[in-house]
Amino acid sequence: MTVKEILNKALMIEILKGMQLTFKRLVSKAVTIQYPFEKRKIWPGFRGRHAFVRDPFTGKDKCIGCMTCARVCPARCITIKREKIDNKMVTTEYKIDASRCIFCGYCVEACPTCALVLTEEYEYSAYSRDEFIFDTEKLLKNWDDFVKKWPEETYFNKFWQPPGIDPNRWPKTKKDQTPIPLRGEALIKAQEQKQSQAQKEEKSETSNS
Amino acid sequence: MKDIIITLIIIAVKTAVYFGVLLLHVAYATYFERKVIGHIQMRLGPMIVGPHGLLQPIADMVKLVFKEDIIPAQVHKAIFSIAPFISLVAGLTTFSVIPVNQGWYIADVNVSLLLVLGIAGIGTYGIILAGWSSNSKYAFFGGLRSAAQMISYEVALGLSIVGVILLAESFNLNEIVQKQQEYWYGMFLFPQFLAYFIFLVAMFAETNRTPFDLPEAESELVAGYFVEYSGMRFALFYLAEYVAMFCMSSLATICFWGGWTIPPILVKAWPWLANIPGIVWFLLKVYFHIFLFYWIRGTVPRYRYDQLMAIGWKVLVPLALLNIVVTSIIKYIIS
Repeated sequence: MTVKEILNKALMIEILKGMQLTFKRLVSKAVTIQYPFEKRKIWPGFRGRHAFVRDPFTGKDKCIGCMTCARVCPARCITIKREKIDNKMVTTEYKIDASRCIFCGYCVEACPTCALVLTEEYEYSAYSRDEFIFDTEKLLKNWDDFVKKWPEETYFNKFWQPPGIDPNRWPKTKKDQTPIPLRGEALIKAQEQKQSQAQKEEKSETSNS
Repeated sequence: MKDIIITLIIIAVKTAVYFGVLLLHVAYATYFERKVIGHIQMRLGPMIVGPHGLLQPIADMVKLVFKEDIIPAQVHKAIFSIAPFISLVAGLTTFSVIPVNQGWYIADVNVSLLLVLGIAGIGTYGIILAGWSSNSKYAFFGGLRSAAQMISYEVALGLSIVGVILLAESFNLNEIVQKQQEYWYGMFLFPQFLAYFIFLVAMFAETNRTPFDLPEAESELVAGYFVEYSGMRFALFYLAEYVAMFCMSSLATICFWGGWTIPPILVKAWPWLANIPGIVWFLLKVYFHIFLFYWIRGTVPRYRYDQLMAIGWKVLVPLALLNIVVTSIIKYIIS
């Protein structure tokens, strides 16, 4: 041992250095986020609870029963039953088992009509497993809850346009999808537009007859 | 007869107030610890109960009091139930002779320093008996380790104080404090820095705190000697540990930091300092030591058992003896 080493040991330099570090940490600001009272900012692309987009004009979901989501799901948690009624495909049963879902978001990316989305809602613990099996009704309700909770006048298209992928490589249906207004002025404007359009059509129809 | 009754009542009231305040301090020491350790780890510590978690100790106490007191079937029931009380009573008794201000004490004993050390040693019995009567491997090992640790460090602790006794020429804690006022620096910390260092290290070992918390090493012994305890008895052990911490901190304050006084040179420089009551200085010094306990707990990992023994016998005891010899020689030359 050199003199320096002996001195280091006798004066406990290492321990004092450690104590200096802990004291620095003591006076620095804590990094804790007090969860139930304050929440983290949710980043775009967050994949939370599943929901069916409720079309603000028809009041229904946009699912066409193409089975793409069920096929692409790696966890096989989506079950769809469909029937052909009047030469038109109709989904009679749509179920997502959220307790088996791995939240990869493939179903959302694959959906051609942008009917299925993963919302930013993540606090939905429940007391029974049945509550995690989302059927069409529940999925639409999830959407309503989500819209109610997030007060911004946002266009809800950032979820089905997957981030990090070149927009040129998106399927045509995704590219063509126009953002739907959620609430507020934008929705009122859109509804007025739709109404005036419908009135015009009615007028033209009546005039034709 | 009447006088005796009156003095008895006065002493009883004094004791009740003194220990009431002491236990309040002990309760909030746990809160202080959780805050300090939390902030060292960049957490916040208790925040929910009351503003900034200030009512947390009370909530903890209520919870522990109302918990079921489980006495396992295989334990020695009498000793098992008595052990925590031995620890706590020993810890509290030491405080009966510790003066916190000029004339603020319950008893003024001539050999109060020896009394404190002796009673603090008795506290070990609580730990050993708890470990032994629990009839559990972990508790037994905790008790054994505690016994070995206490024996080795009590020697160093006692020897480190001898230097102070030599300088103060008294075992009385009041006189030790007054003696320190005769020097311009007002603290035995400066001539006895080596003794103070030894006292600090031995203090950590005596109170079973990290880095010498081998009797209750969580990672190997679960909780050490109080594994089998629950509810109020468990709380009593905790209480005893914190009371012991306060006791050792007070002892360090009185013997090395001048107790409730401040150095005369400071008073000379700023005369208004003399107006501040002594209890403030005493509490400041004690809480500095308490903070030191937490600070080191947040920094230094636990020593190995052989390292613990090596530090005790090969480093601290020889250093303490050296300190005694040097102190006596210098004192002989000067006087």
